[in-house]
Amino acid sequence: MTAEIGSDACFTNRIDPGVDELVVNVGPSHPSTHGVCRVIVHLDGEVVTKAEPVIGYLHRGIEKMAENRTYLQVVPLTDRLDYVGSMYANWAYCRAVERLAGIQVPERAEYLRVIVCEMQRIASHMMSLGSAAADTGAATMFIYAFDQRERVIEAFEELCGARLTYNYVRPGGVSFEIPEGWTERVLQFCRDHREGLEQMDRLFFGNVIAKDRMKHIGVLSPEDAVAWGASGPVARGSGVNWDMRKHDPYSVYPRFDFDVPTGSNGDCYDRARVRLFECYESCRIIEQAISQMHPGPIRTPGLPRLLAPRPGDAYDHIESARGALGVYLVSDGSVRPYRMKVRSPAFCNLALLPLLAEGHMLSDLVVILGSLDPVFGEVDR
Amino acid sequence: MAVTHGKGATPRHDEIGAPVRTPHAVPVTINVTDDFPGGTKGFFARWRSLLTGLGITGRRALGPVSTLRYPHEKYTLSPRWRGALRLRGVLGRDDIPIISSAPPEYNAGIDELYRSDRLPPCVGNCPANVDARGQGYYLGEGQPAEAYELVRERNILPGVLGRICHHPCETACRRNYYDEPVAIRPLHRHAYEEYAKVASERLTPFERTRTQRIAIIGSGPSGLTAAYDLMKLGYAVSVYEKEKKPGGALFSGVPSYRLPREVLQDEIDNLVTLGMELKLGVEVGKDVPIDYLIGEYDAVLIAVGLQESRIIPVPGHSAEGVMGALPFLRDANWKGDAGVSGKRVLVIGGGNVAVDVARCALRTGAVEVHLACLEGEDEMPCHPWEIEEALDEGVIAMCSLGPEEVLVDENGKVRGMRMRECLSVFDASGRFSPQFGEETTDVELDVIVFSVGQGPVLADVVAGSDLTLTERGLLPVDGTLFTTHHPGVFACGEIVTGPGSAIASIATGHEAATSVHRFLEGRDLAEDRVARPVPVYDKYQVADVKGVEANRRRVTMPMAKPEERATDFRPVELGLTHLEALNEAARCLRCQSEVCVGCTFCARTCPDYAIEVERTDDPGERRVTHYDLDLSKCCFCGLCAEQCPTDALTHTGQYELSFYHRELTIFDRHEMVRDGGGTRATGRDGVHEGAPGVTQ
Amino acid sequence: MSGLAWGALYGLAAGLVIAVAALIGVWGERKVAGRIQMRIGPQELGPFGLLQTLADTLKLVLKEDITPAAADVRIFRIAPLIVFAPIAMSFVIIPYASGFAPLDTSVGILFFMAVPAISVIGVLLAGWSSRNTYATIGGLRAAAQMISYELPRTLSILPFVLLAGSMRPLDIMDEWRWWWIPLTFIAFVVYFISSIAEVNRGPFDLPEAESELVAGYFADYSGIRWAIFMMAEYGGMVAAALFGAVFWFGGYLHLPGAFGVIMLIAMATLLAIGMIWVKWTFPRMRPDQLMGTAWKVLTPMALVQLVIIGVVIPWL
Repeated sequence: MTAEIGSDACFTNRIDPGVDELVVNVGPSHPSTHGVCRVIVHLDGEVVTKAEPVIGYLHRGIEKMAENRTYLQVVPLTDRLDYVGSMYANWAYCRAVERLAGIQVPERAEYLRVIVCEMQRIASHMMSLGSAAADTGAATMFIYAFDQRERVIEAFEELCGARLTYNYVRPGGVSFEIPEGWTERVLQFCRDHREGLEQMDRLFFGNVIAKDRMKHIGVLSPEDAVAWGASGPVARGSGVNWDMRKHDPYSVYPRFDFDVPTGSNGDCYDRARVRLFECYESCRIIEQAISQMHPGPIRTPGLPRLLAPRPGDAYDHIESARGALGVYLVSDGSVRPYRMKVRSPAFCNLALLPLLAEGHMLSDLVVILGSLDPVFGEVDR
Repeated sequence: MAVTHGKGATPRHDEIGAPVRTPHAVPVTINVTDDFPGGTKGFFARWRSLLTGLGITGRRALGPVSTLRYPHEKYTLSPRWRGALRLRGVLGRDDIPIISSAPPEYNAGIDELYRSDRLPPCVGNCPANVDARGQGYYLGEGQPAEAYELVRERNILPGVLGRICHHPCETACRRNYYDEPVAIRPLHRHAYEEYAKVASERLTPFERTRTQRIAIIGSGPSGLTAAYDLMKLGYAVSVYEKEKKPGGALFSGVPSYRLPREVLQDEIDNLVTLGMELKLGVEVGKDVPIDYLIGEYDAVLIAVGLQESRIIPVPGHSAEGVMGALPFLRDANWKGDAGVSGKRVLVIGGGNVAVDVARCALRTGAVEVHLACLEGEDEMPCHPWEIEEALDEGVIAMCSLGPEEVLVDENGKVRGMRMRECLSVFDASGRFSPQFGEETTDVELDVIVFSVGQGPVLADVVAGSDLTLTERGLLPVDGTLFTTHHPGVFACGEIVTGPGSAIASIATGHEAATSVHRFLEGRDLAEDRVARPVPVYDKYQVADVKGVEANRRRVTMPMAKPEERATDFRPVELGLTHLEALNEAARCLRCQSEVCVGCTFCARTCPDYAIEVERTDDPGERRVTHYDLDLSKCCFCGLCAEQCPTDALTHTGQYELSFYHRELTIFDRHEMVRDGGGTRATGRDGVHEGAPGVTQ
Repeated sequence: MSGLAWGALYGLAAGLVIAVAALIGVWGERKVAGRIQMRIGPQELGPFGLLQTLADTLKLVLKEDITPAAADVRIFRIAPLIVFAPIAMSFVIIPYASGFAPLDTSVGILFFMAVPAISVIGVLLAGWSSRNTYATIGGLRAAAQMISYELPRTLSILPFVLLAGSMRPLDIMDEWRWWWIPLTFIAFVVYFISSIAEVNRGPFDLPEAESELVAGYFADYSGIRWAIFMMAEYGGMVAAALFGAVFWFGGYLHLPGAFGVIMLIAMATLLAIGMIWVKWTFPRMRPDQLMGTAWKVLTPMALVQLVIIGVVIPWL
């Protein structure tokens, strides 16, 4: 039986008697698709013979909308790109704008950006680890991870009044000064978080069932990772030592001492555990940033409210929780971008799904999808 | 494995901590792979991992919970929570608050506003905290006399300052972010001109309610300010002025092309009408000893200002033709002739006084006027508009030059000046420490005017009393309380602060009046006092940038033609028409008033176009006629509330709305200002009939 | 006639007991899971939220009973009962108090192993009749899983048959000695694990694996029919806990009357909490690993236990 995309057969989870192959529609509304991904799965028994991701269910035309909005108005739109890590899209976009308009960002703002983005990395990885655990059925690990994530979200709420779409990083700086006592609470969180990570490592990553479920599943070779444009923990899980913060250092990252965790097998286990270890590194960066930070302005003084950069284009990328997140902007000299293009790591990583899922069982498919950690706001844009 | 880097060779823009890019260096890595050991060991390790897991969950089960015990505990939202939006006030329903109180309480009120972030930047950046917002409001409402009287509370001579002030208020004006600042200074002048028509009806002398009498030495801006404040409090005030005309530095120092003398005289006459006793031609120390004043009056305030010009002791500085700025200006202002007719003049110095001297020299007939200063062109200490006007009139600026030697001819007269190039004025720590180069320039000229600083002349004033001066001739004065070491004798003005602006002098006058009042009441002088004049509110000083959204440009002040005005002392600025002034007052955003004025910045910054605002602009009838917020479009990004210059638009600490009816999600003007902590966007206090402001 | 009446009475009583046990079981599971996850669990309705499950049940009863258009209607409707009835039947052979079991039969052990196994047919039917890929996969998984785990489960009970020399539960209870506990420890582990698998609970809840199959064989069920599936699951858990408590913990420990019943319930509660604890700690297994565990780990372990018992018996 062949199920073409868009045909009725794709939308009916019906068993066709007399056919060896079972076509199952996983998604777009399914507990484990991390949003609204749809995967057309061809099953032989329980073994996946073909998995075909279908995207676009969350397409809102953000890149097109940006062409009708001023540079400042685009920032809330970027919140909705990667809604698990809004700070990253904010930052990548603002870096592109700053490059385009030649804006110098105050030092304190850079530190604040680094702090919130590393906290965002923790929050995002906790989401990823939690849902990866939930994909394998470990509901308690999910709650433990979300407990950690909640602390970060609460700190963000205190910082900028929002829990998901922060709109915090702005062209020329950040929008709010940190509240009183915030750094102490963040440092306390870093200490607690290490304990939580250690516990999660033993509870889940040391568990025999979790290891059996994730080891040697969805193995991605380093060559394939590079060839398919994978980045972030997906590439690093395969042993590709590739981190924008180290290899194309931006902002104040060169001032920090941190390591890049990598895996060696390129399986789901390594991809997930890379995220766990990155949280340790993020804690280190946050602590260093807080100790290095000095008082000062948080936005470029005297920045006009309405930016009209010179005609030209600019591209800049940062290391988001999912990989290299880039924003390309073209200006025609008006107050609105002529074109915005987002290079989203989740999209590139999701493209690996058919490659990785083939030959594994249906149960492994959701684990592989979870280990790629796609966020469909960013995939579909 | 080799990872190549695909980016172009463009260097990154000047970035904080711009890194040495080493894309091929391999950072330290951690390997995360973890396997069970093989064999029996692995068998037991596998079973042990299960027990470890059970142990962790078991311990957590006995540990504390991280959720709330509802309803006994509730989650408190962050104070910055971006909930549904509401308006604190709206034009047409609410009045713009007027900052007004008696002099001693005024500063406390300003501080309170500042702490609660309700102080308009113009007021915060003004040394005397003049309520420019209230002025704009009254003018826009068609009440110029009220505007004048409001300004006069803090700025005793609005008509004068409306012509000569360096307007730090406009520097901080929030309009800077969008187009151009509101013309606050010309509006002062306009208010004065309107007030002058009705002054005779509105001036009623202050009632004298107290028995104490106060003597003020000097009728400059600070002395007059203190006199006004004290008269208002009910004291009898006598002002002693050694010249025949009152005004102090305003009269003898400010050229009349900037400040027509009749304006100054008129405003001081108004003060006299209010009850001030003005004793002209009485020089304290010569005609009246200060001890007599101390004995006769309950308090004495010294506000004599700076009267002596510094002259740099370069070789030949005592030659004929070298003079100080103040004597030069005095001559030019009193006699209209400074003795430079047909001569070539060099002014040393780059400040505002130097520019005044240069422009006066042109007007008194100098054929060639040079202005030499240490600083470079873009760092001259004078205000940019001053030097611009001077250059228009034909003054030649010579920047980055320092005086080396006065060239004297055989008769002991000035022949020229040798100047040495100046490489830098300030050292690394920002202290004045000029570095000179090798190159020198000789300028041929006849008169050299040094305008490099001023000092007080106090020896005569304090002679015979127990007030003592320092070695440098300065009177020791407390910078916050303005007291001298003799109880009952106070000082204010430039003898305390050093050379500065007129508005800063006025600010010291208010402070000194407060001290005098407290002294006479026998209260603690230092209670709740902060060092003034500002910079207390330095956060308002950054807005000096032009935006690009030029939809409502600032009114242009009509100016006399440079070639004509440079020949005599006619006023340079011609003043605004009534209509221009009304329009300009309407441009004021009423910052921090917490009343929506319909500026539409929120509507223009909303990424979802959820806000619609309309208003009418008629004088006296300014209304926000229409304010619609469609909360179903709102994405709670907070940009609108951030842009709101008046802080009227705020987030409530409540959650999002949930309604079935599309129409209910659109909040109109009445709904936005509904009292009771929020709009109907929230569940618990949802719509109830008869609630104030609910439209059905 | 009288036999039928007694049967109906027993049936009613068993239904009530299971319903109450399921209600308390759901409440207990939510409380224990809540504590493990640093939450409080139900707390609003009744003391400690005890009435929450009752309210949920009422809601489920009132919900619309939806039958998918493509379903095999008759089988779809009957399937929950086929799942539930055998579980309910298994309660009758448990010796609740000294000398009392509702159904005192000499093949009690066989009854307990054989009758609940019928419910696998119901699961299979439910999965098939839904005409839904997820449900079908879930049903097939359930069939494979439950049939496979019958074997180690049965083998793990045999030591008691050998030790007591009878398949009648009351006889075994009479013979029970405390040192049977260490002697049959391996069998206990096998019984515990395979019982969890038998009632489709985590980490062996593959037939209903939420993250893969949404809800597995009962994906298309709603309202009271769905509630019956849940009752069957919790009933099975309670039955397994009671049965385990009887044999491995000595049941009523030769205590007379109500004391014995209380003792039995207390120990069954401990076992049930253990099952809940396990469920909320571990990830779910994959189908092939699940079968591997049954055939490669648990069955050999149970056989080893039998050998040990066989070696020990002559010395007793």
